[in-house]
Amino acid sequence: MFNLIRRDVILQKRQLLLFIPFILFFIIMDSHPALTFLIASIFIPFNTYAYDEKVETNILLNSLPYTRTEIIASRYLGAIVYMVLAIGVTSLALFAFNKPFTIIDIAIGSSLFLLFAAFTFPLFHIFKPGYISTVVMISFLLLAAIGPAIVLFLAEHLTAITDFINGLSVPVLYIGGTLVIMLLYFISWGTTTVIYQRKAF
Amino acid sequence: MGNVVELKNVTKNFEEFSVKNINLQVKQGFVTGFIGENGAGKSTTIKMMMNLLKPDAGEVKLFGLDYKKHEKTIKERIGFVYDGNIFFEGLNLKDIKRIVAPAYKQWDDTLFYQYVEQFKLPLNKAIKTFSKGMQMKASLAIALSHHAELIIMDEPTAGLDPIFRRELLDLLQELMIEGNRTIFFSTHITTDLDRIADYIAFMQNGELVFNQSIHDLAENYALVKGGMDLLDRDTEKDFVHIHRSSTGFEALTDNIKEVKNTFGNTVIIERPSLEDIMYYLKGGIHHV
Amino acid sequence: MQIIISNSSKEPIYEQITNQIKSSILAGELQEGSAIPSMRNLAKDLQISVITTKRAYEELEKAGFIYSIVGKGSFVAEQNLEVIREKKLKVIEEQLSAVITNSREIGLSLDELKQLLKILYEE
Repeated sequence: MFNLIRRDVILQKRQLLLFIPFILFFIIMDSHPALTFLIASIFIPFNTYAYDEKVETNILLNSLPYTRTEIIASRYLGAIVYMVLAIGVTSLALFAFNKPFTIIDIAIGSSLFLLFAAFTFPLFHIFKPGYISTVVMISFLLLAAIGPAIVLFLAEHLTAITDFINGLSVPVLYIGGTLVIMLLYFISWGTTTVIYQRKAF
Repeated sequence: MGNVVELKNVTKNFEEFSVKNINLQVKQGFVTGFIGENGAGKSTTIKMMMNLLKPDAGEVKLFGLDYKKHEKTIKERIGFVYDGNIFFEGLNLKDIKRIVAPAYKQWDDTLFYQYVEQFKLPLNKAIKTFSKGMQMKASLAIALSHHAELIIMDEPTAGLDPIFRRELLDLLQELMIEGNRTIFFSTHITTDLDRIADYIAFMQNGELVFNQSIHDLAENYALVKGGMDLLDRDTEKDFVHIHRSSTGFEALTDNIKEVKNTFGNTVIIERPSLEDIMYYLKGGIHHV
Repeated sequence: MQIIISNSSKEPIYEQITNQIKSSILAGELQEGSAIPSMRNLAKDLQISVITTKRAYEELEKAGFIYSIVGKGSFVAEQNLEVIREKKLKVIEEQLSAVITNSREIGLSLDELKQLLKILYEE
């Protein structure tokens, strides 16, 4: 299973060279740190899907001694692993450029990423190959276009809501948010596994 | 010796095509050639053997194990080669090996590099720059480097030049010296099989027509040639299919004894090639 | 050991192998107890399928020309009575062929020949 996660790095050696300038671009453009974290997290897992949409890739993976459950699990666990790594690298970059960011930015960025992943991962296995990269491109462009606005909006209103709920209990909010996201992520994981089990290659 | 692959009443339906009620056993230690026209259902059957497709009904067992519980154990023991490249095109062979090797407990790096050398494969060039023959060799090198007991190949010789096809057959024959290895390989080029196949499984229109040893085939089927005057409603019953022309008839029989009884020395009886059998059985077995 | 396979011959390949090994044994080229190639090696060398050499070896074993030891290979068997009998039979066959050729040359029919043989045999 670890091999399946590690595979992404081997596959994306070249794309990884783009990773740093890509993040730097967002940093220099003064994007909201939460958006930068989100974009950075998306990079590897969604690149992987660009490969995995190919029938050949699925034939290969499924002919090797892996179970379908493992293949999907590697996607979901891999997404978290690469998210953590991406956040680490991005934090260092932000730090190097002297851009301020808070733990809340990381929380928002990673929450959005996990939500995005939870909603899109099952879609990758529903859409026919060929459409998937289009789906990713459109979602990505949409995100890049209106993402900052949404994040800002969310950030403002989150603080408003936070303020509102603040009176009640901060820990409850965070724990609740984490639980909801985790729940969605696991539901998505389960759904994708079921969809993938039934697929024919 | 036992069966490495066992399909029992396997059925798979698609919208416009189905594979019906397949009962197929692949014998351990032998080469089974899997023949049939394009679209006869060979690839579908192979995909079910590899668990890439799940049958709608019936049972698929490899090494006596089923995929529900033993998927990893089974695939650990299979080496696969498909028609066309399934490896990431942009990667070089070394990177592909890095991805594939850790999947197998029994991966043998020394053996892999031995094949790379034998096949003269470049390690640092992207797979997409490889010729069809080189891609095939690369797939083979990967398939043979984890001591697989069963080698499953789907149309490995399609699109290859005769010289390379010959080399491939030599290599497969070398692999068979080790007694417990089994090779199952589909092809529509039947001459590939004349040399190395021990058993022939023949599919047509989604059905398995037969799975017989080449000796049984030689004993069961014969090509009969003779003058048109010999044919009448009764004598025609001995044949599976008859090809008539002004100079005489040529027909396939699956009952040599009866033909000898009926015609004696008036006809020429020859051993049919696999191609003859495939050609005459086109449209299924029906006595004319 | 030399074996030459003809793909155009009417004789099945396994028979070509058994016959050639038999004559090598009968001619004394293959000595009693000496090893012959494993059927898988022979298949590879002759570029034919394993099942064909397997059948050839099985027939040879049945006829007592060779024996196999699991894990060790196949060896030329002790020349038993049957082998000797087969040797003799071969000689008789050759002599009879000559008789038939001669008979045909002078237009002697099969029945006449049979009669002649009967008389000579019962003498």
